[in-house]
Amino acid sequence: MTAHTLIKNTQAESALIETFGALVDTLPGAATTTTARKTAIGGVSMRGLPTRRVEEWHYTDLRNRLKQVPEGDARTAGDALTSLADGMVRLDLFADDAPSDLPAGVRVTPLRDLLEKGELDRSLAPADPEDVIGALNAAFVSYGVALAIDDGTHLETPLELSAFHGEGQAHLRVPVTVGAGAKATIVERQVGDGAALITGVTELTVGDGAELLWVLVQEQPADTDQLTQMKFRLGRDSKFTLAILNAGGRLVRHEIRGVLEGEGGDFQMRCVNLLGGESHVDVTMVLDHVVPNTTGTEIVRNIASGKASGVFQGQIRVAKEAQKTDARMACNTLLVSDEADFSAKPELEIFADDVACGHGATVAEIDEDHLFYLMSRGIPENQARALLVKAFVDEIIEELDHEAISEALVAKVDEWFAKNG
Amino acid sequence: MPAVQETIEQVRTLDVDQYKYGFQTDIESDTAPKGLSEDTIRMISAKKDEPEWMLEWRLEAYKRWLTMVEPDWARVSYPKIDFQDIHYYSAPKGFKDGPKSLDEVDPEILKTYEKLGIPLKEQEILAGVRRMDEPSQLDDDGEILSDAPYGKGRVAVDAVFDSVSVATTFKKELKKAGVIFMPISEAIREHPDLIKKYLGSVVPQGDNYYAALNSAVFTDGSFVFVPKGVRCPMELSTYFRINEQNTGQFERTLIIAEEGSYVSYLEGCTAPQRDENQLHAAVVELIAMDDAEIKYSTVQNWYPGDKDGKGGIYNFVTKRGDCRGARSHISWTQVETGSAITWKYPSCILRGDDSRGEFYSIAVSNGHQQIDSGTKMIHIGRNTTSRIISKGISAGNSQNTYRGQVSVLRKASDARNFTQCDSLLIGNECGAHTVPYIEAKNASARLEHEATTSKISEDQLFYVMQRGIPEEEAIALIVNGFVKDVIQELPMEFAVEAQKLIGISLEGSVG
Repeated sequence: MTAHTLIKNTQAESALIETFGALVDTLPGAATTTTARKTAIGGVSMRGLPTRRVEEWHYTDLRNRLKQVPEGDARTAGDALTSLADGMVRLDLFADDAPSDLPAGVRVTPLRDLLEKGELDRSLAPADPEDVIGALNAAFVSYGVALAIDDGTHLETPLELSAFHGEGQAHLRVPVTVGAGAKATIVERQVGDGAALITGVTELTVGDGAELLWVLVQEQPADTDQLTQMKFRLGRDSKFTLAILNAGGRLVRHEIRGVLEGEGGDFQMRCVNLLGGESHVDVTMVLDHVVPNTTGTEIVRNIASGKASGVFQGQIRVAKEAQKTDARMACNTLLVSDEADFSAKPELEIFADDVACGHGATVAEIDEDHLFYLMSRGIPENQARALLVKAFVDEIIEELDHEAISEALVAKVDEWFAKNG
Repeated sequence: MPAVQETIEQVRTLDVDQYKYGFQTDIESDTAPKGLSEDTIRMISAKKDEPEWMLEWRLEAYKRWLTMVEPDWARVSYPKIDFQDIHYYSAPKGFKDGPKSLDEVDPEILKTYEKLGIPLKEQEILAGVRRMDEPSQLDDDGEILSDAPYGKGRVAVDAVFDSVSVATTFKKELKKAGVIFMPISEAIREHPDLIKKYLGSVVPQGDNYYAALNSAVFTDGSFVFVPKGVRCPMELSTYFRINEQNTGQFERTLIIAEEGSYVSYLEGCTAPQRDENQLHAAVVELIAMDDAEIKYSTVQNWYPGDKDGKGGIYNFVTKRGDCRGARSHISWTQVETGSAITWKYPSCILRGDDSRGEFYSIAVSNGHQQIDSGTKMIHIGRNTTSRIISKGISAGNSQNTYRGQVSVLRKASDARNFTQCDSLLIGNECGAHTVPYIEAKNASARLEHEATTSKISEDQLFYVMQRGIPEEEAIALIVNGFVKDVIQELPMEFAVEAQKLIGISLEGSVG
């Protein structure tokens, strides 16, 4: 008996394989791209979607959770979306052509062009057999843009990437290069209207000395499944801050796979997961420190209500050469409903001896002392409770280095509490 | 700091990778042919003079084992084990009918104990009772009671040599208190009702690959039964030794603490130095009823292999405690310094309301050792609490992983856990890893988990050294401070031993 014996496909697996068969000739790409796509779907077809027996998917049993796959193209014109904040440069990932009014130093190429030239073939190969998001995306990818920010460019206005979807499927890929010494803020919106399956892969390279703030806001409807991956590489003395707000979706998995490959690189992650209804949200991060003197701090705050379930898996790996690494990770959860649950797996894998690494994880109720303090000042219990819960997540959003975006995110949190509180 | 000083001296007197317990005792033994089949199991069962139901139980386990796949999820790597290349039974010849007293024990074995210092002889001396060569001492005639009152640090010892238990001390005195402490093979014959009721009730035959293997071929081990309301008058201890070549040791320990009782049990283990790897797959089951408390301590010092990673014991052990009753309490303390590979997760099932589980661990790896160890705390009952303190020290080319699970189930309201795992790295050829699983399904649960990895800080070292303490001693001092939280959970006699062991294990890497 081996783990890879042929198994009977589930409805969703069959649907994916059949859809691929029907679409393969119409998907964009060179002949070699088609081969790469077939290899990718072949792996999924042979092994099936991962179950909880696959360690990386232990808390998100994709095979059981992905019940069905909607048919048709989820692409829309994208007009329904309002910007997160004023004055952003919008980039519709569904658009056929690059917008004409881009700021200086920003270059955008439609993904289709790169696929047709076969330039993405190599990056379409999944990282490993468990890389199911990579494989599904590689098989079906047809939308997205390649984004390049030239060396030394300081972008004043944030770029806002979105792919507002309707019913159906959409598979997006966004290769991004931030040049040496450049400075930018990018907002990514994951939102739409209609039952959909969305996969996305972002491949990001942050050049030496560059500074990037990436804000990911996921507000999918309750019947949409979102499987995404962000892979990034950080250059020397670069600084990358990733802020994530999850406030929707049915089955959501964000994989973050980062490598700090230049000395002095710094990675900051601030992630707020607001879990309500019957949603299942999984944030899985693998961070590799491979050179000396890199730093990283990841803070994840979760509020689980209703019948929601949440997962955080964070793995910090410090290579033998990566002396003087300073890596910190914290995952704090408030369970506010008896039917919600949360699982955390904060891992450290350390091969260098001169490091300072730590992680903390807590699951708790609201602090009774804090509650008492507020109530003793005349604030009714409900309000006091709401204040404390909100403060728990707001404090990590508020410290972001962009005021308008911080405010917009706090507003999103308010909106979520109004609906789920 | 006498203990620290001792550590230093111990370290000084030894060369790199010298394993103190690496001798082999030259005694004739009665060994089963290599290989595993139904016949082997029938043979073991017959040798042990077991009733039919026990054989059936073993065969059932064997059937399950045949359908199972060797687990590969632990962070350890080793060549595939050939389960047909192992002797599943080996008994020192000459007393397979069971010795009546230590006098009848092969003098070579007694010498072994003498060499070991622990636990038989050293414990005797610590206890201040007569010396081992005086017959009245371990003759178990019950007369000792009058001139040696309860609880003066005395320890009742069961010694398991390869596949058989060779001696159990203080039997009569324990009997007086109502405590049953005997080799499990005897218990199967003498207390079949208890065995039938409890064996496999915490770790079922098909629990996992190695537990199934153990259930099929286990040869001996200890059985402890503490009746209602009894506080066991002394420490109980089992000492395990693998002696024969190519043998596996598969012992089984079962401890039952009835309502309101208390028992403290400790185990120690060593093995000779050999080039090939030997398999040790034990199962330990603890059952605590209402208000009962079991304290289980392990000082594991199997042969870890030589400096090139050759030889050493594969230590694949399933240990699980079941807090079955309300307000019951199970505490695991372990000091892991030996074995080439350790794969071991002493766990607590917190079933009874208000029950409590504890896990204190020091895992020291050096040379080419690989440790993947930790615990599981499964909160099922209300108001259950658990506490995990794990200290990992890796040196040399070793890999040291903490893997632990804390799970709060839906009905476990007001469950509470505190976990702290700290790792210390000495040298840059080793690795330290932390893999916790934290699962909360109840809104009133409070879980805290903390982990750090660091090296001995320059500041600390400088501070100690500038007070005139040499570097090597300073490091030992800091390391001992690092593990202090766990050491103090050990029974006193073992705490000293454990501190020495840590010093020896780190030999060649500190300073």
